[in-house]
Amino acid sequence: MSNFNSQSTPRSRPQSKPLSKPLYKNRNRSLAQGHFNRIAVCAKWLLLCLLIIPVAAGVIGVFLPAMGYFPAIGANQFDFRVFAALFDVAGIHTMMWLSLFTGVVATVIAALFAFVLLSVFYRSQMLSRLQIVLSPFLVLPHAGAAIALVFLLSPSGFFARLFTFNSSAIASANEGVFLFDSYGISIILALVLKETPFVLLMAISVMSQPLIREKINGYFKAGTALGYSPIAIFFKLVLPIVFPQIRLPLLAVLVFAVSNVEIPLILGPNDPSTLAVAVLHWFNHIDLSMRLQASSAAVVQVGIAVFAIIVMLAVEKGFTFYGKKWLQRGKRHVTDKAISAIAYLLLIAYVVLVVSAIYTLVAFSFAKQWTFPNIIPADVTMVHWNTVLDAVLTPLSNTVLLGVSVSFSALVLVLLTLESEPLNTGKTRASLLLPTALFLPLLVPGVAFLYGLVWFQQLILKDAVWFHVYVAHMVYVIPYVYLSLAVAYRKFDNRYVMVALSLGKSPMGVFFLVKLPLLIGPILVAFALGLAISFSQYLPTLLTTGGAISTVTTEAVALAAGSSARLSAAYVVIQAVMPLCGFGLAWWLSNILFKPSTTKISTNKSSTGKSVRSV
Amino acid sequence: MALTLRELEIFKGSALLLSLDVTVDEGEILTVMGPSGSGKSTLLQAIAGHLDTPFSFSGSISIDGTNLASQPPHRRGVGVMFQDALLFEHMTVEQNIMFAMPSAKYQTKSRKREAVAKLLHAVELDEMQHRVVTTLSGGQQSRISLLRTLAAEPQAVLLDEPFSKLDTALRQHIREWTFTQLRERNIPALLVTHDSADAVSAGGQAIELSSC
Repeated sequence: MSNFNSQSTPRSRPQSKPLSKPLYKNRNRSLAQGHFNRIAVCAKWLLLCLLIIPVAAGVIGVFLPAMGYFPAIGANQFDFRVFAALFDVAGIHTMMWLSLFTGVVATVIAALFAFVLLSVFYRSQMLSRLQIVLSPFLVLPHAGAAIALVFLLSPSGFFARLFTFNSSAIASANEGVFLFDSYGISIILALVLKETPFVLLMAISVMSQPLIREKINGYFKAGTALGYSPIAIFFKLVLPIVFPQIRLPLLAVLVFAVSNVEIPLILGPNDPSTLAVAVLHWFNHIDLSMRLQASSAAVVQVGIAVFAIIVMLAVEKGFTFYGKKWLQRGKRHVTDKAISAIAYLLLIAYVVLVVSAIYTLVAFSFAKQWTFPNIIPADVTMVHWNTVLDAVLTPLSNTVLLGVSVSFSALVLVLLTLESEPLNTGKTRASLLLPTALFLPLLVPGVAFLYGLVWFQQLILKDAVWFHVYVAHMVYVIPYVYLSLAVAYRKFDNRYVMVALSLGKSPMGVFFLVKLPLLIGPILVAFALGLAISFSQYLPTLLTTGGAISTVTTEAVALAAGSSARLSAAYVVIQAVMPLCGFGLAWWLSNILFKPSTTKISTNKSSTGKSVRSV
Repeated sequence: MALTLRELEIFKGSALLLSLDVTVDEGEILTVMGPSGSGKSTLLQAIAGHLDTPFSFSGSISIDGTNLASQPPHRRGVGVMFQDALLFEHMTVEQNIMFAMPSAKYQTKSRKREAVAKLLHAVELDEMQHRVVTTLSGGQQSRISLLRTLAAEPQAVLLDEPFSKLDTALRQHIREWTFTQLRERNIPALLVTHDSADAVSAGGQAIELSSC
């Protein structure tokens, strides 16, 4: 210790002084507990309850009937007979295998595709263009994507038209290879289409976190200096630090893939179907005793999800094991050309699919007559759209009302929860519960807990249909809104908050006047994401309302099974446009909200020049 | 006004990070120097009330005998300035400064406006009120940032390497200007820096922390 100015020597303490106990450690925390913080902590607990209670109640609600307890039909003895009966059902093993096979294969392929795309484009300008190309499939609900595939791949679909040059080929074209195949290839195709953009986006958002981005840049420089190619650097240095961060979202994708209903319902084989589809049919069976079988199948579905997770983790372990040996060999290139070629092929495939899907759906919804194998419809008409617009009014207003209320309240809860975080840095019970709670609804298959939830809802508030569907949507919307906003919160420069507080503004004032305006972009995007997630919910809406409240998505799925391709096409177009409107609105609003008005600048132009010079 | 740190000890977990016992008189600028990791910024956070886990402190921090530790950050009357100007980009220059003005003192918006104009005029930044802050130069931003801090009429000001991002010529100019403003208002200030030229220019006591 030395002094520049010796007039008044500050007394310094030798480091060897016995440590006195920190006095203000706890006091500091209690000081921060103002009104605003108390509200924030309450919001956090409410959010946790909204995530945990429905899922827990739902799981109990399917577990009891599965064990033979279902008072409604006089069954009240616990035993395993229901399970024994389930395994006697014809084709049950095929159903289980189909669920597991399609889910695991689709998730592994989607992850590999995403990593291949990233490895080629992660340091190039193409990355943002890539996101644009992939975004239509990202925001399109699963049901919509599946229906779009039907339009493209069916025996008289768009691709059949493209590759058929004379009408005599109709006969052979009727033998569709891809659709409804008993191996589940079409299910895998649809899942890969939907999940690749999702995995890619998760990885990009991890890679853009300040600390990780810095690390990646450093690794890139070091790797380049050692002579590794960019693609080799991605697989050998970047992926090992990114993967642990996306493992949990990837497992959520996996659980969704093995247990989702809408894609196999629209694209999959019927006899036997995947287990999830069978569960849906059995639960909706007129014979109430089928509920026991459905419940036991739902429990088996949970088992399949757990098994799939184990398989996935084993696959990861395998890759890490061989990866380590591969790293030690020190090869500077990793068949770079082949990987680039695959990446560009994927990109082209996505462009072709997006463009032809849009064309086919729009054309179909306007076509008067469109005979095979013509590529252009013979005539255009508004008839289908008039029909659709009449019919869609109620489902559309239901969808928007539900989406806006769910997404808005989820946003408020998530913002307050995030506000309560920095004060108690990961030490409280609620903070420890949060990560688990967020992934709970994503890791427990919907078909498993939603039926149980409905059972409880019927017991408690039988007629509050809107409330039940609201809760079911919240369960799915909250995690996505949280994950999306948490990224922005982590990037936020907290010194703005310190400055504002030191200027004398209360914590609540700082939140509304500084933090909200500065984070308006990510907040609006999170809101639009919440809307898109709510829009896309099929099973939660169908089950909790018992069909009483129809949304665009439930109608689209219902129509897909029906006969009118025209109406079906129009519904998918609406499904695709709605989330895009949400994101467009978010983008537009974030550009005009909280921007200081620029009109006054021009009037002060003369002074502007002067003041710039004056520095 | 005087800022007094009495037997102040800052801990990281249970390890002692630094200890200080000093009084900064009104209009004085105390310089604290030391290598990174010596806890300079942590010291400022303790005084401003932003100390977070795993840090804690013992001893007293007071201004004119009023203990700050019992106050939440926004009631301490302690202004902080960082390397970056941190002007709020969703507000104009005028709105940034008005944001800082105590509402109790200026009862109407027009009085606040007049006061902003006066502040800007005094430092030859006339008619900057309606500028979008992102269009300002680095030097202008630092000066508006200080004006904003002063507009809140703080009892003490903490400066966390506020000049380190400015280029050399500008740094000297802004530094002199900042110190003049603080001295004119008789505000005790604590400056944390790497640059010994800052300490010389500040002219007050200087403390060098050792790295732990």
